[in-house]
Amino acid sequence: MYKGLVTCRAGMGSSIMLKTKMDGVIRENDLPIKLEQAKVDAVPNFKGELIISFTDVANDLKNRNLNKYIIGIKNMMDKDELLSKLNEFLDEQEY
Amino acid sequence: MDFLVSFFSTPAILLGTFSLVGLLLNRDKSGSEVITGTFKTVIGFLVFSIGGDIITETLQNFNAMFQEGFNITGVIASPEAATALAQENYGFVISSVLILGFIMNLVFARITPFKNILFHGGHALFTASVIGLIMKSYGYSDMISITVGGVLLGFLMAFLPQLTKPFMSDVAGGEDPGFTIGHFNMIGYSLSGLLGKVFGKYKDDTTEELELPKGLQFFSDFLNGVAVLMLILFYVSAIAAGQGFTTELAGGTHWLAFPFIQAFRFTAGMSILMDGVGMFTGAIVDAFQSISERFIPGSKPALDVPTVFQFSPNAVLVGFVTSYATSIASAFVMAALNLPVVMIPAAHISFFSGGTAGVFGNSTGGWRGAVLGSFVMGLLLSFLPLLLYPLLAEMGIEGSAFPNVDYNIIGYLLDRVLNFIN
Repeated sequence: MYKGLVTCRAGMGSSIMLKTKMDGVIRENDLPIKLEQAKVDAVPNFKGELIISFTDVANDLKNRNLNKYIIGIKNMMDKDELLSKLNEFLDEQEY
Repeated sequence: MDFLVSFFSTPAILLGTFSLVGLLLNRDKSGSEVITGTFKTVIGFLVFSIGGDIITETLQNFNAMFQEGFNITGVIASPEAATALAQENYGFVISSVLILGFIMNLVFARITPFKNILFHGGHALFTASVIGLIMKSYGYSDMISITVGGVLLGFLMAFLPQLTKPFMSDVAGGEDPGFTIGHFNMIGYSLSGLLGKVFGKYKDDTTEELELPKGLQFFSDFLNGVAVLMLILFYVSAIAAGQGFTTELAGGTHWLAFPFIQAFRFTAGMSILMDGVGMFTGAIVDAFQSISERFIPGSKPALDVPTVFQFSPNAVLVGFVTSYATSIASAFVMAALNLPVVMIPAAHISFFSGGTAGVFGNSTGGWRGAVLGSFVMGLLLSFLPLLLYPLLAEMGIEGSAFPNVDYNIIGYLLDRVLNFIN
């Protein structure tokens, strides 16, 4: 089981919704990922493998050399995008 | 009976009960998820109140110094702080308006053509506060205030996102993203989109081709922005109030160390408060979403603004800078005009609200549209709160104000209507 953190700048609205959508995709496809949600300040202390956010925040995070897999989501209503990005993460973990 | 009344009239428990019912209606939630969600709502609300206490205490110190130093009331236009103040005396009414608002949103989405479900719990709470306070200021009973307030809030949650819909595909770069904006500046954002059309023929000169300085990114970190602003404000007012006054206020702390500690204490309070709001709205949103998906065919989510920031990140920065500069200039204008109150803009509000106005303006009129739209947004964020400030100050919201566009316009209309009826 992998651990992921869904995050946004203030941690009040959009990441909560993104987590709910992500949880839906994970449940439907039985993916071995468990998600938490927090604002972006919690990222440095996060112990899991995966960070998920929107593309603008994700690009900031990628510049910080966090040594975590970072997913940037463009449209959270697009289930195919969510699933394919989670699968890319899982594929990479297996090698 | 007394136990039940005092138990359920505690806002945290009331909201927890609402989460519990919502989560129980959800077939795919396990028992432990139901309990976790319910407890998180109760804990989150209490965390929110504790953050609010800290903010209130520091704001009172700020007000005392600002008033002593400048002889005018300086009001920090931050809805989080204002909501925390409102919570102290009217917590039960506000939480009940919020809950009824969520339910009525579903009802209106089911029976009207406005199929939007608003998922930004924080913003729904701010609007519930404004509406609840206005109702109570006219002396209506809790029952009437909650019923009228909740129905009105539910209608706004279903209807206002519709205003942003015509702009969504332009905002998202051509394709309908399947959601609308649910953030109580919806009138302001669509106005920005309309204003952008003035520059319709320059639509392709977008903000995304501009080279922007990296330093602006600093403000995209929410707490940094708050801390910097509060440091400036506390030091300016402490120095204006003078050593004697500040020393007395500071108790044992040195008068020049006091502003520093207070500014960071305010920021810490804000961080706690936001964590709390995130925690208690998380469970509610979670419950609310699967109910709407199951029972309301064709419903569309209305989401918080950062969901569109990625489509044109430069427009966010252009919009932020333009609207913040406009709001700061507005504060000087208010002081020059000798208005009894000066609205001091909070950087994070300009970032999210002004930034989104930039995104909307950019989508229809390129960078020129982004500048025009966020300029107007800056004016609205500063001047609209003046309409309701006298009424809200009487209800205990002193030193802070609700800046966002929609609840000020709706609140003002509600106030006029109630005034007419009485």
